Amino acid sequence: MAGVTLNGLYKRYGSTSVLEGIDLDVEDGEYIVLVGPSGCGKSTLLRCIAGLEEITAGTLEIGGRRVNDLSPRARNVAMVFQSYALYPHMTVRRNMGFALEVARRPKAEIREAVEDVAAMLDLVPLLDRLPGQLSGGQRQRVAMGRAIVRRPDVFLFDEPLSNLDASLRHHMRVELKHLHRRLQTTVFHVTHDQVEALTLADRIVVLHQGVVQQVGTPRELFDRPANTFVGTFIGSPSMALLPAVGAGGTVRIDGLEGELELPGEGAMTLGLRPTDIEVGRGPLRGQIEVIESLGAEALLHLDLGPDRKLVAQVPEPCQAQPGEVVSLLPRVVHRFHAETGERLP
Amino acid sequence: MKARRALQALLLCGVVVACLLAPTWAHAADLTVWHAYRGAEEAALREAVDRFAEGRGHRVRLVSVSFGVYDSKLETAIPRGNGPDLFIAAQGNLGKWRRMGLLVPAGDVSGEHRDPAIEALTEGGELWGQPLAFKSLMLIYDPEVIDTPPRTTDELLALSAALTEDGRYGLVYEAGTPFYHAPWMHGFGGAAIDEMGEPTLDTRAQVDALTFAAELAALMPTAPSADRVSSLYTEGRAAMIIDGPWRVADLGRRVAAAPLPLVSPTGEPARPYLTVEAAFVAARGQDPEAAAELASFLSGVDGAQIRQEVGRQAVTASRVVPSDPILQVQLDQAARSEPLPTDPEVQSAWEGLARALRQVLRGTVLPDRAMAAAQQHATVLRRPPPPPANPWPYGIVLALLALAGLGALGYRLRDPDLRRRMLVHAPDYLWIAPAGLAMVVLVVVPFLTGAAVALFAHHQGEWSFVGLAHFIDILLARDWPITSPMSFGFTLVVTVLWTVSNVTLHVVIGVALAMLLREPWVGLRGVWRALLILPWAVPNYITALIWRSLFDAQVGAINAILGLLLLRGEALQIDWFSSFATGFAANLTTNTWLGFPFMMVVTLGALQSIPRDLEEAAEVDGAGAWQRFRHVTWPMLMPALLPAMILGSVWTFNMFNVIYLVSAGEPDGSTEILISEAYRWAFSRGNRYGYAAAYAVLIFLVLLFYSRLANRLAGRKVL
Ligand SMILES: Nc1ncnc2c1ncn2[C@@H]1O[C@H](COP(=O)(O)OP(=O)(O)O)[C@@H](O)[C@H]1O
Ligand SMILES: [Mg+2]
Repeated sequence: MAGVTLNGLYKRYGSTSVLEGIDLDVEDGEYIVLVGPSGCGKSTLLRCIAGLEEITAGTLEIGGRRVNDLSPRARNVAMVFQSYALYPHMTVRRNMGFALEVARRPKAEIREAVEDVAAMLDLVPLLDRLPGQLSGGQRQRVAMGRAIVRRPDVFLFDEPLSNLDASLRHHMRVELKHLHRRLQTTVFHVTHDQVEALTLADRIVVLHQGVVQQVGTPRELFDRPANTFVGTFIGSPSMALLPAVGAGGTVRIDGLEGELELPGEGAMTLGLRPTDIEVGRGPLRGQIEVIESLGAEALLHLDLGPDRKLVAQVPEPCQAQPGEVVSLLPRVVHRFHAETGERLP
Repeated sequence: MKARRALQALLLCGVVVACLLAPTWAHAADLTVWHAYRGAEEAALREAVDRFAEGRGHRVRLVSVSFGVYDSKLETAIPRGNGPDLFIAAQGNLGKWRRMGLLVPAGDVSGEHRDPAIEALTEGGELWGQPLAFKSLMLIYDPEVIDTPPRTTDELLALSAALTEDGRYGLVYEAGTPFYHAPWMHGFGGAAIDEMGEPTLDTRAQVDALTFAAELAALMPTAPSADRVSSLYTEGRAAMIIDGPWRVADLGRRVAAAPLPLVSPTGEPARPYLTVEAAFVAARGQDPEAAAELASFLSGVDGAQIRQEVGRQAVTASRVVPSDPILQVQLDQAARSEPLPTDPEVQSAWEGLARALRQVLRGTVLPDRAMAAAQQHATVLRRPPPPPANPWPYGIVLALLALAGLGALGYRLRDPDLRRRMLVHAPDYLWIAPAGLAMVVLVVVPFLTGAAVALFAHHQGEWSFVGLAHFIDILLARDWPITSPMSFGFTLVVTVLWTVSNVTLHVVIGVALAMLLREPWVGLRGVWRALLILPWAVPNYITALIWRSLFDAQVGAINAILGLLLLRGEALQIDWFSSFATGFAANLTTNTWLGFPFMMVVTLGALQSIPRDLEEAAEVDGAGAWQRFRHVTWPMLMPALLPAMILGSVWTFNMFNVIYLVSAGEPDGSTEILISEAYRWAFSRGNRYGYAAAYAVLIFLVLLFYSRLANRLAGRKVL
């Protein structure tokens, strides 16, 4: 078990730069989720940590030891691939014990370790099957099991749940959380699904175009997004961004009536989460275009004016009708710099 | 020589077509003449024939047939009535052709001829061809180096020793070939066979002749080929060679000639084999009388004059005066020569004699032991075919088998469901009928014919039914001990060793290169891939010929490179084909060169379908490069490689070209594999087609058994 430190980590393929100076300090036993849109460099970062890709510049330390130039086998990390990468010609038992087998550990020890983990993951009845004879969820668990058997210092999960259907994904999320509590091993978990990030992470790292946008607990990220990218990326349905101008303690959204009592002077961008909008009173007015019912809540898609859209989440049953004009009160407003998109104090 | 033969084998197809067209030619001209002449001799023949045609108003068509297929073409075309009216050939096959009924007696002798022209063409009291010219070996020497040629073998040895130094040689000749050894054999008083056709290879005279040949060979490069002999002369590095008039034009240097010397111990002349070329009237020709007239004209004084002047032939007609000293030498030599035996039995002596020669020249066996072995070899080869068997039991077994087959078919047809489905699919059978017919004609019929031939013996043009006798002889190693290279068991072991070592090397090299080509640091991947596939794209007989010359003991690149690598300062002198291990290694190298690209291509394809992250997963799991290959890549390559390996082993098992062209079975037939051994039985040991067919059937059974075994081992049907 070990902490991981990334210091100014760069990764380039020829002239294309994928990771641009990643700094990250991960404590032993932390569950870190890396999120970001597809192609932002999450997998590359994970592969750099695993040792499958060479690090172009910067340092990587695992357990206080610089490992930049160590081979994967010397880093003692375990990885679960998005495709699971189970060896198709080996039984589940051999797949899970493979790392110990190549490390030439005694047969009895391997058997015991595999069976322990199999019991933990409900894999015992599947031990003598080939991967081709398993369902997607079972394969996913075998891939997890293969990682766990080794008792590595760090787990690296690359979108481990993205090939599962919704209910199974939910189930496995809970199970992952459970496992982490039992094993207390450092985890890097890559996903592009912010729900996964929010539910699993001790801390989330938001990555965009190879640059870390924000690192923090799910709460911090949700409550105080560092910039418009994090603001819109975290939270579902996502935050609406509206250009506005502030003067003398009030802020007016461009092209709209009604003022919000907020600090700040000059042009800025306001971020409004659907969950933070109260319908029925307030300075803003909007016409309901569509009502989307989610069961316990409903989403009102509102048209505030030309090019100014907003979504509000209200509890069901909702009496409003499409076409109706309603008053709106943002309870929490995030303010961002108009050009840089950075959060304003 | 072997190279040429292989090429000519390819031409055979063309010849078959030509045979089919032959009747059309026959009608286009009154007389058709076949010959195998080239250059000046062809021009002379044309001129002589034109002269004849002018006088009579006959039209004559000359057809030049490639030398290598000449005899077989005659033997197939004449019995079918597609042959020529007249053909020109040496007298060597006279006995066989007469027995096959290819010839018409030549009638009266056309004028006077030098001895032994008429005698060589007379059999059973009749003349079978009109003599044209003599050809035999003689002593060719460089007049700039030698004033008076040696008259005795003692002088020859002394002169040869005196002139041999620093890469120059006094005398060079193709010492390893029986034809070139024959002058000594006869001069010492020996003969290949006696009047009864029995081999006489283990006599005192034979041993003396061989001992003498070894003394000469000690002053020569090891086992020089014909090409090597003439190039040494051309380069001025050989003062004397023993060769025939056919070689003179290629030498590109001044030559002088003398008859071969007297053998000192016996006082007898060294007598080479003499070929008497003659014009033969073919049976079943269009106009035998006109053909006979033409033969007489060519043979007589007028024709001979033209042939001597234009074609530089040593003509038999005694009224024609030789026009230069070399022609005179040829005539003198003809007077002290031994006509090439017309008895087909002499064939049985050649192989054993050739092996004995090479063993002794290599210094591995003493002359008396070698000749005793040669005698035994020839005796076994000469043995008459197995006694005729009663065909009835075989017929009954065959009939019973056929009945059982029909019964099984009928039994299956009783199933109404099957009958109904067959009716429903009746039109579909029509669709596959053309392919089915082709399979029957091209595969089933030849296979059954071949298998049937194995039950017959072919001996001197006659077939007899011998049942399973060939199989029994072969499998029980009746003629040779199982440890002899001639035995089926020995050759089978060599063939299995050959197959296993080849396929192992092909797979190891092919997979290693494919893995290497996938490495990210390898640049110019496409170029490398194309280069590595190249050996496969080149026709394999060309590659085999190239490797054969690379392994040449004197001028081969392999010896030169090894010499460089071992810092010897000069080429090594390894005679690669003098021991089993090196000969086998030469074959193996050649076939590995030919075989690895296939395995590489299969592996490259299979590697594409292995997801990269499997190997990465193994890498993260802590597996080193070898463990990743061993536990992940290799097992995943197996499904593609296994069928390729089985296919490759069947190809290798029957890789005739490499064996035939590279080692040719040397030394002593030990590197022969089953398929090339079958070839020898069919074509160079007296046309034992039945025996050869039995080999072929056994090869088929071995491969059948192997494919069953392979399926079982693979746990599924791969072949
Ligand atoms: N071997 C490579 N060569 C060049 N570019 C690469 C290579 N691997 C990944 N990339 C680029 O790096 C970027 C990040 O890829 P990746 O880390 O896989 O993204 P994701 O966040 O979706 O996992 C992508 O734009 C991709 O095109
Ligand atoms: Mg990815």
